[in-house]
Amino acid sequence: MTVITDGVVCAPRAGTLYDVLDLILDRGIVIDAFVRVSLVGIEILKIDARIVVASVDTYLRFAEVCNRLDLEHDATSRTVPELFGGAGAGAGAAKSAGKAGAKKAVRSVGEKVKDAVPGHHEDGDDDSDNGGDIGEEEPAPRRRTGEGSRPRSRRRSEED
Amino acid sequence: MSLYVYGVTRGSVPPPTGLRGVGAPAAQVRTLAADDLAVAVSAAPARLRAYRRDLQAHQDVLTALARSGPVLPMRFGVVTDGEEPVLARLTAGRADYLAALDRIEGHVEMNVKAHAVEDGLADIVRQDPRVRSLRQEARRRPGYAANIRLGEAVAAAVGRRAAQAGVEVLTALTGLATETVRGTEPAGCALNASFLVAEGDVARFHAAVAALAVLHTGQVTLQVTGPLPCYSFAVAPAPAAA
Repeated sequence: MTVITDGVVCAPRAGTLYDVLDLILDRGIVIDAFVRVSLVGIEILKIDARIVVASVDTYLRFAEVCNRLDLEHDATSRTVPELFGGAGAGAGAAKSAGKAGAKKAVRSVGEKVKDAVPGHHEDGDDDSDNGGDIGEEEPAPRRRTGEGSRPRSRRRSEED
Repeated sequence: MSLYVYGVTRGSVPPPTGLRGVGAPAAQVRTLAADDLAVAVSAAPARLRAYRRDLQAHQDVLTALARSGPVLPMRFGVVTDGEEPVLARLTAGRADYLAALDRIEGHVEMNVKAHAVEDGLADIVRQDPRVRSLRQEARRRPGYAANIRLGEAVAAAVGRRAAQAGVEVLTALTGLATETVRGTEPAGCALNASFLVAEGDVARFHAAVAALAVLHTGQVTLQVTGPLPCYSFAVAPAPAAA
């Protein structure tokens, strides 16, 4: 299996398993007469993804970013970071808020599962013995914290 | 003994050697043959759950099997009670399994997901009259309700732009695929589609995705995964009347 990620236009990914988790869990052949492992936790994650993304938090964050846009003085700017670049006092705080929030709404279910699985945040954990029992996770409380919802490597580099 | 089932292949495919499956320690994968069909199985762990390790093993076994011929992947987590039920099912559904194997012969699955991006907020404010007026309103009379209305309109605009890009990406890539299946798309995901692509066309497919990613930079990021076992194109034969 290979994953092609263009450095410029495609989001970099730590692994490939979670990018196709929906295929492994929801596609493929099921034979009625055979037993299938319970995947209750996975359903919870899917529902949770919808709740979080369409939240009041998201709206307020969008509003804050939009209210800070200086369209008249920066007509060519295309990105949130650029828009905050020349904003003067308070720009630092606005920048981190805008950027920290900017990725939150674009999480996939795969990423959410990835976050919910213990030990997945760092590379090289593939052979950890328990490997994260998705079926027994209770991801909802963790979701609500927001901070725990993003891949850590990405967060680290953004806050530099 | 409970058996974990990975997938169905042609019987002519040499049985895998040294393949490690689910469980800790990983179980040895073997094949059960019934005429011109075979099924890859291993001992099922006593307590099977969606462990990351086992998901990866499932994926790895199927990927390895797919190298030597078409394979119909089982969904993760299918367990059966001994060899007889598996072999009986293979025999009963023989014609359907063979037809399903013919369908994916020489093909791989490519999965493409498009995620909405928020980089174009300035464009949205400039181009969307409703967002613009709500922004002016929120600046004139700042407040929680005004901000919610503004944010909601922006979120809708981000989603609309991403969805539009998703449709265009789907249309373009469908032309390069033998078959296309669209999956569920959680919020923020504008497209989740799988494409049945001839092995010889994989490079062309990747190039097309890269070009589309550039074209839609302001609306979505594209993520392509593959070649994969044909999860989305393995049709379960109808149960035989038995």
